[in-house]
Amino acid sequence: MRTNIVIDCRDVHHTYPNGVEALRGITLQIRRGEYVAMVGQNGSGKTTLAKHFNGLLKPTDGSILVLENNTLDVKVSALSKGIGYVFQNPDDMLFCSSVEEEIAFGPKLLHFEESEIQTRVETIMKDLALESVREAHPFSLSLGDRQRLAVACVLALDPEVFVFDEPTTGQDYFGGESIMKLIDQLNANGKTVIIISHDMNMVAEHAKRIIVMNKGLAVLDGTPKEVFSKVEQLESLSLRPPQVTILAKRLGQYDRTIITVNEMCDFLKTDYLHVGGGAR
Amino acid sequence: MPSIIEIKDLTFSYPHTEKPALKNINLSIETGKFVAVIGPTGSGKSTFCYCFNGSVPRLFNGDMNGSVVVAGLDTYENEIPILAEHVGLVVQNARSQLFNVTVREEVAFGCENLGVAREEIRKRMDEALAFVGLSGFEDRQPSALSGGQQQRVAIACVLAMQPEVLVLDEPTSELDPIGSEQVMQVISRLNDELGKTIILVTHDMDFVTHYADRVIVMNEGEIVEDGTPRSVFSQAELLRRIHIRPPQVSEVALELKKCGIPIGQIPINLEEAVVEMERLRHAH
Amino acid sequence: MIGATFVQKDTPIHSLDGRTKLLALMVIFTLVLVFTDPIYVLGLLALVMLAWGAAKIPLSSIKGILQFFGWIALIILLLNLFFYPGETNLFRISGPVAVIGFSGYITLEGILFGVAMVLRLLVIMIVAPLLVMTTPLPDLMLALVKIKVPYRFAFIMTTALSLLPAIQNRASIISQAQLCRGVSDFEGGKIWDKLRVMANMMIPLILGTFRDSQTLDVAMSSRAFGAPIKRTFFMESHFHSFDYVVIAFSCLLMVTGIVLRVLHLGVI
Repeated sequence: MRTNIVIDCRDVHHTYPNGVEALRGITLQIRRGEYVAMVGQNGSGKTTLAKHFNGLLKPTDGSILVLENNTLDVKVSALSKGIGYVFQNPDDMLFCSSVEEEIAFGPKLLHFEESEIQTRVETIMKDLALESVREAHPFSLSLGDRQRLAVACVLALDPEVFVFDEPTTGQDYFGGESIMKLIDQLNANGKTVIIISHDMNMVAEHAKRIIVMNKGLAVLDGTPKEVFSKVEQLESLSLRPPQVTILAKRLGQYDRTIITVNEMCDFLKTDYLHVGGGAR
Repeated sequence: MPSIIEIKDLTFSYPHTEKPALKNINLSIETGKFVAVIGPTGSGKSTFCYCFNGSVPRLFNGDMNGSVVVAGLDTYENEIPILAEHVGLVVQNARSQLFNVTVREEVAFGCENLGVAREEIRKRMDEALAFVGLSGFEDRQPSALSGGQQQRVAIACVLAMQPEVLVLDEPTSELDPIGSEQVMQVISRLNDELGKTIILVTHDMDFVTHYADRVIVMNEGEIVEDGTPRSVFSQAELLRRIHIRPPQVSEVALELKKCGIPIGQIPINLEEAVVEMERLRHAH
Repeated sequence: MIGATFVQKDTPIHSLDGRTKLLALMVIFTLVLVFTDPIYVLGLLALVMLAWGAAKIPLSSIKGILQFFGWIALIILLLNLFFYPGETNLFRISGPVAVIGFSGYITLEGILFGVAMVLRLLVIMIVAPLLVMTTPLPDLMLALVKIKVPYRFAFIMTTALSLLPAIQNRASIISQAQLCRGVSDFEGGKIWDKLRVMANMMIPLILGTFRDSQTLDVAMSSRAFGAPIKRTFFMESHFHSFDYVVIAFSCLLMVTGIVLRVLHLGVI
């Protein structure tokens, strides 16, 4: 069944008006329910590609089908029902005068029923712990709250696919983990999730598929273990795999790729140091 | 080594807030040290940075008690432009701290304000741009550079003013891996080759272990720990309490230690971790 | 967006000293305010167009400004057409258009004055961008400082201009973000809808710009802006022979203008 594919890129090229070739032939498919991370240096084309998923940019050559719509034929606002895009800086997305209004904004535009909007707003505020600040002005909230509110606004349109542009950038560990928990939850509820990030440790712990971009091409595409096992290739792109991955190699583990701290602890206890009781 | 920064009983509160942003800070920093400041968001790290050149309390008003003395100058008594000759400040948002039309204007700006002669400005500009690896970028527009290049221009700008201390507030947090690495190398060379005292706020613990001599941990406006990277990253309880994640190898070692494995010293980098794990394997 | 930025070209206009261009600009401004006869204003317009041609910058690069001007011009024309107290009645309009202040007649003077106003405004609207588009901002600032404009004022003016691209960039991100939240993209949509979308954009735009300006404040004072020391200027500026030609011509134009005006020529 073809309907399982939510994003279908066919030889997508994008050249900016200034002549920069940001995408040089991307062919890939993303299936319903996947949890994908796109990594790469700035200028590698990952944000350009992500902006093709919701039609903000159109291919200058090739085509892209999003939820079976060719993005050339549909408006961004129409696609926003199916694809939610959470910008890196929540402040760019918020403009209403209270949290409640902000969340209700999208559904109102799409002419949902009043009662339906109310239920939706209530549920989302409850799920995202925004109830206590419902009356507050969005710009008076803390960064963490603003970021959750930005997610809430996208969630209110109930899209199938979520794109997160650098969700943890500029945040401390706790802030980053809180937003990642939320994203994990979305994926667990069956949503397709695509994150753009530079944070290899975070990507290793959360994503289930990694696409490495370089100079407008998808140069690696696979499970985190497959991708991070290619240590040399990643280093040639100046991307550092997680420290534990390199530690494992240095300890002589060449046939097995370790990508998280938990895996490393288990490996050391059961296999390397033989102290037994691997699972914690 | 004599100390270049002396902070005594510093407490600072922003207007209309209950909790002070900085509380009872006492600190002395020796000339030529590389000091990393870490702590969760909202722990007062940025406010702390703004104290060194007098931006707190001059630009950010509030109640300040105690004293901050940098290079012999009390920040309460001296204007920011005077302190600027001794303390250079680089902030997180690379783009909005650059406001000139070309890199040339940008780097010259500070020197011009200090009344430096034209020929001397030319010399300092050449040196500063060469130091950060951006020679030949004089005619470029700062806004058209990559984030990493912008931060290096920002560093060149303060470097041309020849301060003894550089304070950098999360200079790499919005950069990609290549950009971060290049900026960190420049910062490290400022310390190694030019002997500048560095105060670096960062969330990247790998950078902390790699470059810093000393780590100051802040939480809720207070200094809760002050020591070497190893002494800080060996304290599992502290790290958990204030949500700081140490380098992965330290985290692994702390976890093993908790399970009763006789870890000696907590490793803070890859090399140490390899040595320690091999030692443990042979001991078994 | 409305706005003009420097365009790098190798032309005589570009290589003029900033001070020369400021002088020429002042002369054109003054004359355009002094004369009301459309013929005279057309002469000035021709002069400005000549300068545009010499600068090799297509007028289409200020399309935004010209579009904006079009609306203003229409309003001015209509106002003058109906309300200018002229004497030579051309024809009479009666019925529902007769409002307070409208004599009922369209007059020759009304038309002439309206056309002159539009032309005068047009000259001002296109000569100012030419200065900005042919003079790098640092040169412009230096020119202002050299003609004894206080440094602080000159700096703030030129910095404000240099921050325009950053603000435009932020505006485009915000508008993208709003599209993603379901706001329709109005290709040729109603003006009312466009205005509403723009109103929504203003809040994040202003707050974001305000936050940036705080950083700017810190960055500037950290680099000794406002130090109680006599400031030096790294950039240099020199007059070349063509500068003297333009300066002489501008002065001549100014003197001629004053003489004509004293003789009551060029006014209606």
